[in-house]
Amino acid sequence: MSQLIDNPVGAQVLEADGIRIGFGERQVLNDIYLRVQTGQLVGLLGRNGSGKSVLLQTIFGARAVADASVRVNGRRVVPAFRHPGLLNYLPQEPLLPPSLSLVQAADMLGVDLVKATAGFPELRPQLGRRLGELSGGSGRLVQALLLLHQPTAFSLFDEPFSGVMPVHVEALAEEMQHVKHRKGLLITDHRYAEVLPICDVVYLLHQGRLLRLDGDVREQLRDYGYLAT
Amino acid sequence: MTVLATQLRAVALFYRSVVPFMAGISALILLAVLLPALREGWGRSLLPALLLVKLATAPVVWYLSEQLRPGQYWFYFNLNISRRRLWAGVVALDGLLFLGSALLMRAVLS
Repeated sequence: MSQLIDNPVGAQVLEADGIRIGFGERQVLNDIYLRVQTGQLVGLLGRNGSGKSVLLQTIFGARAVADASVRVNGRRVVPAFRHPGLLNYLPQEPLLPPSLSLVQAADMLGVDLVKATAGFPELRPQLGRRLGELSGGSGRLVQALLLLHQPTAFSLFDEPFSGVMPVHVEALAEEMQHVKHRKGLLITDHRYAEVLPICDVVYLLHQGRLLRLDGDVREQLRDYGYLAT
Repeated sequence: MTVLATQLRAVALFYRSVVPFMAGISALILLAVLLPALREGWGRSLLPALLLVKLATAPVVWYLSEQLRPGQYWFYFNLNISRRRLWAGVVALDGLLFLGSALLMRAVLS
């Protein structure tokens, strides 16, 4: 896989399909096809409980699904997280073990923390601390930056803007725009006003199906009941 | 940092999170079973059986850990380490520590 990642020629393409997940009688995901390539920022929208997190976790490989196929450049990679340099995942819950300082976490993830937080000087004095010693918003921001700058071909982010203050949301979105030149980013977040302008492709999870939205995305989001106005 | 060094560090880090359970069980076995047996002079042949008992408690710790901290694996997944590899490392490390402690205890008391 490292050869695949190191290949500077052409884009890496991550594809996922065959994902069917149900909880009891309810079919959450059905007949999914999703495609992300390096150099793209892909937005995944959907109402609460539509299965966005489940889909990201299935692609990442943390959730075993019988018929799920996750491929990079056509080659099957299941579970994807076991392939070094391929992809990482920011969950909604805290990512880092409580005993680990941010400096130690960055070291293990192979991230230059000073470089990763260069656009956020307010974070500098806090880098020696543990995640639990930071405010919720700062902690969320640092975790997103760590994974954004981890050397992987793809990053899957589940609610990266959650709890982050507006000025940092803008800066983080800008950082994502820079990083996408060497990565493929798949983001799900309810802050659609911030997500939509930075996305190259937008998917909507609606009644278990994944719809790729082209053209006037906002109008389609209204049509499917994701937006009211 | 090499991949192997990172993985060893990750196992050690994960072990820290379960050490209260595992060390508690080790202490119970060593102090409540091995120590009295050694004092009475019949503990030397007991070690393999105690090690097996100790290893048999690992699934209990695994179950409790899964129930109490279901989200504890994300960091390790991002280091390309699976649950299975993490727990295999932890059980091996804990088994070695248990065996080392038992041998030390036997050497001191004999």
